[in-house]
Amino acid sequence: MGSYVGRQLLTIIPTILLSIVLNFALLHAAPGDPARIYAGMDNATESQIAATRKELGLDDPLPVQFGRYVGQLVRGNFGESFAYRRPVLGLIMNRMPATLLLTMTSAVLALVIGTFLGAISARRPNSVGDIGLSLLSYTFFAVPAFWLGLLMILIFSSKLGWLPTSGMRNVRADYTGWRDWLDVTRHMILPTATLTLVQIPIFHRITRASVAEQQREDYVTTFRATGMPEGKIFRRYALRNALLPTVTVFGLNLGYVVTGAALVEIVFAWPGVGRLALDAVYRRDYPLLLGIYLLLAIAVSLAILLTDIVYAMLDPRIRLR
Amino acid sequence: MASAPLPISPLAEAAPAQTRARSKARGAWATFVSSRYGLAGLILLLLVVIPAVFAPVFAPADPFALGAKPFLRPGSSGHPLGTDHLGRDVLSQILFGARISLEVGLVAAGIAAVVGIIVGSVSGYFGGWLDVLLSRVTDMFLIIPAFFLIIIVVATLGSGILYVMVVIGLTSWPANARLMRAQVLTLRERTFIHGLTALGESRFRILTRHIIPNGIQPVITNCTLLIAAAVLTEASLSFLGLGDPNKASWGRMIYDGRTSILTAWWPSIFPGVAMVITVLAFYLIGDGLSYVLTPKTRRAGE
Repeated sequence: MGSYVGRQLLTIIPTILLSIVLNFALLHAAPGDPARIYAGMDNATESQIAATRKELGLDDPLPVQFGRYVGQLVRGNFGESFAYRRPVLGLIMNRMPATLLLTMTSAVLALVIGTFLGAISARRPNSVGDIGLSLLSYTFFAVPAFWLGLLMILIFSSKLGWLPTSGMRNVRADYTGWRDWLDVTRHMILPTATLTLVQIPIFHRITRASVAEQQREDYVTTFRATGMPEGKIFRRYALRNALLPTVTVFGLNLGYVVTGAALVEIVFAWPGVGRLALDAVYRRDYPLLLGIYLLLAIAVSLAILLTDIVYAMLDPRIRLR
Repeated sequence: MASAPLPISPLAEAAPAQTRARSKARGAWATFVSSRYGLAGLILLLLVVIPAVFAPVFAPADPFALGAKPFLRPGSSGHPLGTDHLGRDVLSQILFGARISLEVGLVAAGIAAVVGIIVGSVSGYFGGWLDVLLSRVTDMFLIIPAFFLIIIVVATLGSGILYVMVVIGLTSWPANARLMRAQVLTLRERTFIHGLTALGESRFRILTRHIIPNGIQPVITNCTLLIAAAVLTEASLSFLGLGDPNKASWGRMIYDGRTSILTAWWPSIFPGVAMVITVLAFYLIGDGLSYVLTPKTRRAGE
């Protein structure tokens, strides 16, 4: 097991290193001078701009800037935001809980619901129920998350008035304790439902395909030959074996949720990392953007690593390969 | 995988190849149609492509004309889907927007196909350190959150439609590369390839004339999914205000309409519906294609 984890780490670390290099190169190739922006837009003199550039360390040669950046990263310093004049890591961590709340809740909900629906589909392939579920699944997979969010607001907030349109808390109420908890829950229903709905198809499809694959295995044929009831083969054997790939998909899916979450956060004015990233793009806040992007790359890599390990624990065949 | 010819001498198969290819294509078409999902996808796609091609004929108004009153409701005379905040006809904008979406999808998926096929086949065929390096780069692009990369590139380098297409294409090739590499790894050990090598065929010709054409099917299937993904990505970029400001794309329409959605829903909801139909069409076609190309699932009555 230990050597397995080591092998996986060997593929993850170069990936993270390469994304640091790529990231840095890309942002520095960009036109637009951040020093000009932070010296005060239109009315700054050339000497003020030069001073700002020096202050931000932008006048050093690129390799020096890159070396400094990597050195800081190693010490856990992701740099200082141009716009907020505060450490990037702190800014991101402030927003992280809100984003994690949305992404993890929706990912787990989608895993449970999607796998369940996939199992229903797989039990009787090509039945009316399966075709209906599959078409629904395709349709929701085709729906852009941000548009679905708008639709949700339109129906459940505007027309029906059941739920709040945006934000994470009712700012005028200033609740504490369980009332605050309830308030956050009310606010997160629509964004979470939006994100869950667009992820369900992923799990529906993988479960359905995976069960179908198991049903073709020799052991199922053997069970059938012994006269074991079809329902028992399905529940006890085929379905259980088929659940393994959903673990991998859960990990790969996290990268996709992060993207969807960023857009959904913007639709619902949810105070998470997605909105922070978008602001950073508009303000050309390079250190903040680099920080968010890198943290995201690391988080997604680790999530994939973790699911690989869980997968190996569940299925000894993977370890031995 | 019945596509790879078996004879030991590659010259012997030259004559009947054409007729065989034709009957194979007919069989593939019959299978595709019988998959139902594939046929449904094709019909949906025609629903999008025909209006897109004949947009100037079907559109009730110039999509950029500001003549009408803003926020006319759907069903108003001359404006079946209403008008937006500037009084532009929503239906006309959707029809012309279809051209942009299809263009983005096809160009981005095309780029992803070319890059993926080159990287995957070179990596699989030549092996060694080149394979290690290319596979590592492929994994990296597979892991990093591509959409954020696209946002950064477009936000910094500019958001012209051509840029958007190229950037989407250049970040979505890794799956193609992996599929192609796996295909090459099995194909290059086949008897007919060994035969060609023995006959002194150059490695470049073996790769381009024999291995790639015989192993390209999964890449083609994946490309239908990539077209769909590219359409969604362009829309997402436009929704963030990072799309081409000179093109009335569907994402742009949703972006423009979202602030007034509580008073007028139609300028932002209708383009979304058009987008769902388009993306769904490509997913279903992809399903139909993979049904044709994987006889294993067909046999089991999947």
